Amino acid sequence: MTNRARNIRITAAASVAVVVGMTGLVAVSEPLYRLFCKVTGYGGTPRMAEKASGATGEAMFTVRFDANVARGLSWGFRAAEPQMSVRVGEETLAYYEAKNTSDLPLVGTATFNVQPDRAAPYFNKIQCFCFTEQVLAPGETVRMPVTFFVDPEITKDVHARDIGTITLSYTFFKSDDQSKARVAQSEFKPESKTYSN
Amino acid sequence: MAEAHAHAHGHDHGAHAHHPTGWRRWAYSTNHKDIGTMYIVLAFVASLVGVAFSMMLRAELAYPGMQLIHDQQFYNVLVTAHGLIMVFFVVMPSLIGGFGNWFVPLMIGTPDMAFPRMNNISFWLTLVGLCLVATSTLVGTGAGTGWTVYPPLSNAVFHPGMAVDFAILSLHVAGAASILGAINFITTIFNMRAPGMTFHRMPLFVWAILVTAFLLLLALPVLAGALTMLLTDRNFGTSFFAPQGGGDPIFWQHLFWFFGHPEVYIMIIPAFGIISQVVSTFSKKPVFGYLGMAYAMVAIGFIGFVVWAHHMFTVGFNVETRAYFVIAHFHYVLSVAAVFAIFTGMYYWLPKMCGRMYDERLGQWQFWITFVGVNVLFFPQHFLGLAGMPRRIADYPDAYAGWNLVSSVGAAITLVGTLLFIYLLYRTLTAGERAPANPWGEGATTLEWTVESPAPFHTHEILPNITTQPAE
Repeated sequence: MTNRARNIRITAAASVAVVVGMTGLVAVSEPLYRLFCKVTGYGGTPRMAEKASGATGEAMFTVRFDANVARGLSWGFRAAEPQMSVRVGEETLAYYEAKNTSDLPLVGTATFNVQPDRAAPYFNKIQCFCFTEQVLAPGETVRMPVTFFVDPEITKDVHARDIGTITLSYTFFKSDDQSKARVAQSEFKPESKTYSN
Repeated sequence: MAEAHAHAHGHDHGAHAHHPTGWRRWAYSTNHKDIGTMYIVLAFVASLVGVAFSMMLRAELAYPGMQLIHDQQFYNVLVTAHGLIMVFFVVMPSLIGGFGNWFVPLMIGTPDMAFPRMNNISFWLTLVGLCLVATSTLVGTGAGTGWTVYPPLSNAVFHPGMAVDFAILSLHVAGAASILGAINFITTIFNMRAPGMTFHRMPLFVWAILVTAFLLLLALPVLAGALTMLLTDRNFGTSFFAPQGGGDPIFWQHLFWFFGHPEVYIMIIPAFGIISQVVSTFSKKPVFGYLGMAYAMVAIGFIGFVVWAHHMFTVGFNVETRAYFVIAHFHYVLSVAAVFAIFTGMYYWLPKMCGRMYDERLGQWQFWITFVGVNVLFFPQHFLGLAGMPRRIADYPDAYAGWNLVSSVGAAITLVGTLLFIYLLYRTLTAGERAPANPWGEGATTLEWTVESPAPFHTHEILPNITTQPAE
């Protein structure tokens, strides 16, 4: 009988351990998911690169630039050019323009996505404004650069090599943290600026 | 002394055993049969609400235009409540809490569950969960998120007010109840089988509950974690699923479907178990390929954990998962397969649970009416989905009118079948013939048929010994 009582305790403890283990897994799932998307380009997450490898190919792609502003942020936001023709492997510079149309300084954060999904692992961004929050004073306009290249490996992927058009999409959201807007308000300078990087 | 005497003669004291009476018998119950009965009653009451909601939806959809429901949010509140109630408070409590509690101890030859008090708290937590989900429909504009609770629709911008929070808490509480229940089943089945009741002699229903318990143990903590993140996103300014804070709504879909796909098996594997028992009983032979069936359920359970992404086709390339086709598809699994297994279980075990036989003729009528009803109800929804009708919208263009009317007529037929079942239950409980210990004859070989009907309050106090039976 005591033997059975001990076994019952062991089984129950093991079951609780499974529950605790799964709870632990879900607790760390957020950074894991982030890492997974970054590494694999999953779900249209573009890759980050230091610089283009230098190798270019013959294939040409149409890269379209899509700009959106989420509800709650009074900004105008558009791509300087709606689309570009890009040679595979070639480092390309494009601009987006944002304007604060409200009478308050506002902090925005951009998310980005590449469609079709299959192209995302090959769409490398060397630098872009999405990595940092943008603070815009009332009426301020900013030109924001995006440098990217399409990895020549895309032409070897049977699932992706038929792609002719890649869409890079940005959506600006009002940041939850608006403390930088208050700082900006105190040192507000009305001229427009262009990021030099 | 009377108590000691009763225990000393455990095999013949039957229903006269000492136990609390009146409301205490139920509120404080640690008896697996009483708790199983309470689960079945809870599921029955919840099903009345869930069915009523679906009938309102189908009545609205019978014709184009807005007839009964003039508020799209209210329509979606009904959709959400119907889904949550049917999944968490009808199918799961009846198959797992109800039949599982009643028949796992009887079938493996043990007097009760390993943790009878924990069994009690599991039941009452489930009731609290049901009350919370009911509350969510009444607070503010209600939760119109669908049972999948996808952000951004479920966030504080699109669903301000406390309705979604109530729904989240409801699932938390019901989830906790199910996790405790799962630990109880696993511990009972692993440690409390009668002498000779090896794993390979266990009835398939017990195997099914064991697999289900493991799925619950692995899947529900993930749902609980995801719900907690959503709750903090809504109330405490975190951004797990909010892009403006660096989060990702797709992340919710991964977590939800990591739970959601196994959840489908959680609802259908106990049904496999019931059908296996019933087929074996009435064909008067053991299930062919018993071990194959047992391990198939185990394999299905594990494979169920790696295929969640197929629920997320909206995340890129397929618009049909938003269509009415999906409604048809999962109602064939849940409403047709799982609910018919619940009916099957009720018919099969009713004599053991209440000690009375049901009217066979009424039962056959109920089966055929319901069977025709659900097929007329759900089959045309495939056509509607393929034709592009979206789900969760209260109105539709005239082009979809024909099959929608057919589907609503099917709903009305199903309702007749359901009402007939309620009448059959009433007739059985009040005027059914007394059932013998084994009303099903030589094919009914599992241990629950060795005790009298209705099963006495205490059973298997002298452990049955089945070491002499051949292993299958």
